[in-house]
Amino acid sequence: MDPTANLSEPMETHEILEQLTSESPARIDEAGTVDELEDLAAEITGKRSPIAAGRRSLGTVPPDQRRDLGRAINDVAVELNALIDKRRAVLEAAEASEALASDRVDVTLPGRVPARGTTHLIQQVMDEIVDIFVAMGYTAATGPEVETEFYNFTALNFPVAHPTRLESDTLYLDYGDDPEGVLLRTHTSPMQARYMEEHEPPVYLVVPGRVFRRDPVDSTHSPVFHQIEGLAVDTDITFGDLKGVLDHFAREFLGPEIKTKFIPHHFPFTEPSAEMHVYANDRWMELLGCGMVHPAVFEAVGYDPDEVTGFAFGMGADRLAMVRHGITDLRHLFDPDRRILEQYR
Amino acid sequence: MKFTFDWMQEYVDLPTSDPEEIAEALESLGHEVEGWERTSHRFEGVVVGRVLEVGAHPNADKVRVTKVDVGNEVLDIICGAWNFEAGAVVPVAVPGAVLQGDFKITQRKIRGIVSNGMICSESELEVGDDAAGIMVLDDDYPNAAERLGEDFVGLLPADDVVFDVSITPNRPDCMSVYGLARELAAFYKLPLVEPDLELPGGEAATSVTIVDDVACPRFVGREVRGITVGASPHKIRARLTAAGVRPISNVVDASNYAMMEFGHPTHAFDVDRLGDIVVVRRAAQGEPITTLDDVERELESIDIVVADGGKPVAIAGVMGGADTEVTDETTNVFIEAAYWDPPSVLLTSKRLGLRSEASARFERGMDPEFCRFAADRVAQILVETAGGTVAGVVDEYPAPPAPRSIELYMSEIERLLGIRLEPEAASDLLERFGFRSTGDDPLIVDVPTRRPDVHRPADLIEEIARLYGYDNIPGRLRFGDGLGLPVREQMVRTLRSVMMGAGYHEIFSFSFIGAADLDALQLPEDDPARTGITVVNPLRDEEGVMRTTLLPGLLKAASSNLAKRLDDVRIFELGKVFLPGDGVLPDQPDRLGFVAAGGAMSGWDGETPGYDVYDATGLWEMVARSMRLEGTELRATERAPFHPGRAAEIVHDGAVIGIVGEIHPAVAATHGIEGRAIAGEIEVDPIVVEGESWQFEVPSSYPPQVFDLAFELDSSVPAGVLLEAIDAVDQGMIEKRVIFDVYEGDPIPDGRKSVAINLTVRAPDRTLSDEDVAPIRRSIVEAVEAATGGTLRGSV
Repeated sequence: MDPTANLSEPMETHEILEQLTSESPARIDEAGTVDELEDLAAEITGKRSPIAAGRRSLGTVPPDQRRDLGRAINDVAVELNALIDKRRAVLEAAEASEALASDRVDVTLPGRVPARGTTHLIQQVMDEIVDIFVAMGYTAATGPEVETEFYNFTALNFPVAHPTRLESDTLYLDYGDDPEGVLLRTHTSPMQARYMEEHEPPVYLVVPGRVFRRDPVDSTHSPVFHQIEGLAVDTDITFGDLKGVLDHFAREFLGPEIKTKFIPHHFPFTEPSAEMHVYANDRWMELLGCGMVHPAVFEAVGYDPDEVTGFAFGMGADRLAMVRHGITDLRHLFDPDRRILEQYR
Repeated sequence: MKFTFDWMQEYVDLPTSDPEEIAEALESLGHEVEGWERTSHRFEGVVVGRVLEVGAHPNADKVRVTKVDVGNEVLDIICGAWNFEAGAVVPVAVPGAVLQGDFKITQRKIRGIVSNGMICSESELEVGDDAAGIMVLDDDYPNAAERLGEDFVGLLPADDVVFDVSITPNRPDCMSVYGLARELAAFYKLPLVEPDLELPGGEAATSVTIVDDVACPRFVGREVRGITVGASPHKIRARLTAAGVRPISNVVDASNYAMMEFGHPTHAFDVDRLGDIVVVRRAAQGEPITTLDDVERELESIDIVVADGGKPVAIAGVMGGADTEVTDETTNVFIEAAYWDPPSVLLTSKRLGLRSEASARFERGMDPEFCRFAADRVAQILVETAGGTVAGVVDEYPAPPAPRSIELYMSEIERLLGIRLEPEAASDLLERFGFRSTGDDPLIVDVPTRRPDVHRPADLIEEIARLYGYDNIPGRLRFGDGLGLPVREQMVRTLRSVMMGAGYHEIFSFSFIGAADLDALQLPEDDPARTGITVVNPLRDEEGVMRTTLLPGLLKAASSNLAKRLDDVRIFELGKVFLPGDGVLPDQPDRLGFVAAGGAMSGWDGETPGYDVYDATGLWEMVARSMRLEGTELRATERAPFHPGRAAEIVHDGAVIGIVGEIHPAVAATHGIEGRAIAGEIEVDPIVVEGESWQFEVPSSYPPQVFDLAFELDSSVPAGVLLEAIDAVDQGMIEKRVIFDVYEGDPIPDGRKSVAINLTVRAPDRTLSDEDVAPIRRSIVEAVEAATGGTLRGSV
């Protein structure tokens, strides 16, 4: 195009527009990249293009032709811009898909897994059991692991010469001058006495915690293990309530189809006493010990056994974890091997 | 305790022989059956024979040649036993017989003479333990001589079943065949066979003086004269063996048999060695006795002894003395059946390490009313098995038990069990266990003297429930009015889940440590963690002290994982430590401990970094934020087992509540940890404090002003001082401050550093203009310069 054309001449301008209209579409189509297209666009419709020049010169065009010429310039500009936009869209899409293609990776390479830890299986089991009872209207408390002989035995109606009081069965500590001795609690039951001393009835309580016995480590024994204690005391608790509540617990913990049975047993701090057995893994097995709170225990904590009745129960969290998850050796539960811990998810 | 079905049948005619059914019945009564086992004979082809002749073997001294009539023929059999002569009726394994499952009997030559089979001993047939001689079918097998040639199995009791029952410690009355027979009779509503025993009275030659009638409220002595000590008959030995008691001699066996049968232990003295004076008293402190096992023992004043005129001759209820022991030459015995104070027997037997079937029964409490029967039963057996005659009896009974009766209201049964019983029904259930009652409501129930466990209505109600059947009491689901999980427990759970979210695995380690564990931490001698409370009777030295810190367990756990090439370890523990305190009990606070080590695993796109102190402090910051803990600060500290330049104390409300940082490289090295490892130990109580409910804040919807400041300060000034200074500029608008660069070196002068901070300032109610920000910026600069002594380097 001739930049020296006299654009004040409408006729010349028309010619130039005609030329643009005829030549530009092919050139636009030929632009191979967005950059090329932008250069071309500047040439055809940009500030220094004949179209821009034509617009600038409209002031010098005789008034009677100005309107027609202006419209003609505009029509061409609109037409060409539309073609440019269309071509740009095509080119941009092509370039974007080319960029994405070069960004392609092997998505089957391992992803970055955020680290997630675990809580211990025994803790999970204790929490779960506590939650089952909390849902039945119980509260939870924990107690001291180092206990006095009084709370561990005497308050729970253990005779003075009960065999488990001996040093062959119970771990004692060299501490203080309590005449009854300070020991590692052998069960969570001392919290029955402690809690009742501190609270008026009714009591609906579960106590998870760590307990100790003087047992060498083997596949079923450990000097350290874990229990969940339960206690319900009210004006009208019966053995029937004990059965109903613990049966409900078994079904919630082991599944709605689980069968339970209660058989007589002996504990110094309950009377009558029982064990609840469940039918699991094709055999009956003991799940927990329980019974009606012994009147001597109520007397020891200042409750009137003629006014209240109650039931208590205790179960081993470690054992329950083993039963449910097919663990045959108790020692695995105290093994910090990461391959074991990672299973506790 | 173990017993056979056959033995049980002597006292109650059980309606079933199905061991499973019997086990279920026992279990429903509260007697757990640990197991049961059929005793079947593992031999075939053994017949009854009579020895016709016994002659010498021409070529051998130690064996004899016999002719044995086995009904249809007479066999020559070579036999090495010498306990029989012609005329003896014996079990004979003829050629073709199989013993003990796979031992085949054939004709074979012994020193040139053919032996056509084998005459058998008890142990070869597995019907007893006697291997010394052959089994002579004596009076125990009265018809044996008429059954020559018949299968010997026909003479033995039919296949029997041995039950192993675990008796709860409150039921000494059930530690016998008869005691369990009483329970089963009650269960099946069957009569219990009353044993028939009438022995003549007459004064014993031995006098008994009881000095301490608490120790011994009753002592019965029965003399049996003219016995011959020898082996017991087969039936007694077989039953004892099945019951797990080793047969010894007819005298010892009689005592044990009567004990397994009726429960009450007895002791037989050689009366000629005992003398005619018996004194029952407590031992003098330090008094010696040589017991049956030929061990000289020193007694204490709690021990009860049976003494002759001077010295102890038995430790009551625990073990007899060697001096008065029955020997092979004994002809006259004095059978003691007494009631011994249970706690004394328990303490004595435990202390001396002499726990036995007898002490287990006395320590639970025997029936004082039964003593006479017990002694007489042994005498009766001795007369039958040792050929003695019953002589005199002495029965000292200074302290008979007071009769016990309990008032039982039907309302009390309902209150405890939730079932309503008529008095007749309750009375009937109790009667079946031998509790006689009168009256209506209340029933007045007499407690048999054999039941030391029954004192209160609740005890009777358990008896009723046992027989009524626990399974027949309807269950009732009943909800409480407890207030759910306390806030502290909820917060401890949150704490665990925060650690879990940070990638840490919880471990449970034992609550004990050993002194070596603290040495491994390289704690100084005066470190408070070394004042652990010792366990009086630990099972192992390495469990001799209660843990004062969680770090040994965590470091050992990390170490064991790394040793197994489990390279990245992040673990935590939340548990108690035990420290001397002011109260009756030690302080036992909960702590949170953690360790992270390793962590240099390479992935396909490069290596993940290991751990350093900032992982530890960052973890703490995450914990503190999660627990909504305000106003804590970190302070550099030097404390074992941490790196002296890379550890911080956590200070909260002016108190140190924990420590986080890198493990001292030397400590890490002793645990097999390569590279940097981090750890921390934090008190749980201060971080699980229940606060006011947090209140919602509406976030500003206006844009922030973001700018950077860089300060030049002395290298020794901690960054924490700078951040505290910024936080103290309380404009309510400083939303975020991030240290993004710490630089030392050119052009910063030696001993100085540059710290660059990116600040985000935002107003709740408007878009901040440059003019708004200027005074905030100025306040920050002034505060930092004042706090750190540094200077602004100008906006970066």
